[in-house]
Amino acid sequence: MPGLEAAAQDFAQAEEKLRRLTKALTTRASIAQTPKQVIWALNKAKLYRYVPMVPEQERRRLPLLLVFALMNRPYILDLRPGHSFVEFMLKQGYDVYLLDWGAPGREDRNLKFDDYTLDYMPRAIRKLKAVSGCEEFSVLGWCIGAILTTIYAALRPDDGLRNLILLTGPLDFSRKDSITFAKWTDERYFDVEQVLAAFGNMPAEMIEYGAKALKPVENYIGNFIRLWDNLDNPAIVDAWHAMHTWVTDNIPMAGAAFRQLIVDLYRNDRLMQGTLMIRGERVDVSRIRANLLTVIAEDDHITPPCQSETINQKVGSRDKELFRIPGGHIGIMAGSGASKRTWPHIDAWLGKRSG
Amino acid sequence: MSDAQQKSSPGGDSFDPLDAWRKMRDASLEAWAKGMTEAVKTDAYAKMTGAMLDACLSASAPFREALEKSMAHALQQLSMPTRADIESLADRLTNIEMRLDDLDAKLDVLGPKKVRKGHARS
Repeated sequence: MPGLEAAAQDFAQAEEKLRRLTKALTTRASIAQTPKQVIWALNKAKLYRYVPMVPEQERRRLPLLLVFALMNRPYILDLRPGHSFVEFMLKQGYDVYLLDWGAPGREDRNLKFDDYTLDYMPRAIRKLKAVSGCEEFSVLGWCIGAILTTIYAALRPDDGLRNLILLTGPLDFSRKDSITFAKWTDERYFDVEQVLAAFGNMPAEMIEYGAKALKPVENYIGNFIRLWDNLDNPAIVDAWHAMHTWVTDNIPMAGAAFRQLIVDLYRNDRLMQGTLMIRGERVDVSRIRANLLTVIAEDDHITPPCQSETINQKVGSRDKELFRIPGGHIGIMAGSGASKRTWPHIDAWLGKRSG
Repeated sequence: MSDAQQKSSPGGDSFDPLDAWRKMRDASLEAWAKGMTEAVKTDAYAKMTGAMLDACLSASAPFREALEKSMAHALQQLSMPTRADIESLADRLTNIEMRLDDLDAKLDVLGPKKVRKGHARS
């Protein structure tokens, strides 16, 4: 009977949708699948080398180091097969390394930018040089990773850094009215010492809340409605599932580093003012001589464009480019358009400068 | 979705009440989202969340401190390591790791030379 057949078909489709919904909401997606090896580790940090995808003679000479933020997992750079920046760059012939900061425990609450930029990064880079056999290298820093790489590049300009890519880096904190996080963490409203006294580190849950509360309706409601509306489209559900896995997998930020982020940067803009002190050394960004590509997401609500625009005027690099792209903080690198716009531009820029 | 429903999807000829409802829902969500995004940018929101956080942390601080003290005392009585002991051990391990890392780096430098030397001898 046609009526019954249609009803059975509807029932089967509804069952399939329910299965997809349950899976997307209650399980972790299979993420970060590109093969890699740990080649260095210190405390919670690990340096991975991805298994190259092209023969050695076709590879770019300069290795590429990826440095992500301290409070998120770096596998956003290798989200899922076919939608992975790492996989894309490997296919373009790059020797790709990833510095994963790991999740700090309470015992790491005294870790500062000083430790990350003058202990962890130089040591990881020393290993990268030993493994790649190349004294020069490129670094891509994203979000807080861009702050760390900028500090490193300014403090160690003779370390072999040839190309520096800063992705949506919050570097300039002078226009506080345009930076929502700067308002929230203003000393009149937010007591950073009280938070760190209570938790040691900045808890992952608070970081997640902060990121989501910038756009509360989109993140707490719209996001799930989008999933509901697209349950009959497995490709969209898979993409949603992978992104949801990443978004809900935050890690704490080491207490002392968080204090520096709030007090030195958000409140006092010390990096751009040239007054940031790292282990007794003044961070002078005009000492950066590496070729510089600054990538700005035009619709970024986490790092508004005004936070990344001025770095190109301050560095000492002769070869520098500011690349603006429509999209959000994460979307420009992990969204559906990333493989058509952002990744090819980074590859084209870096390819010319990677020997 | 049944055939009948598919025919009435956007672009179809017949009227779909669900589609009209969806459009209305999306429009109201968009308006709400814009309002909320602007609201969280205000000083009033920053002040409110700051005050809530301050109240929570201030209220819980005495309990947290008392719990930490009593836990440390109990662990000491049981001859068990406290959180502070574990943290100091972790610090020492990281220092040892750094020394090992320096040694490893020196081996990295020496390694290829040794190999080249070996080849030259043979």
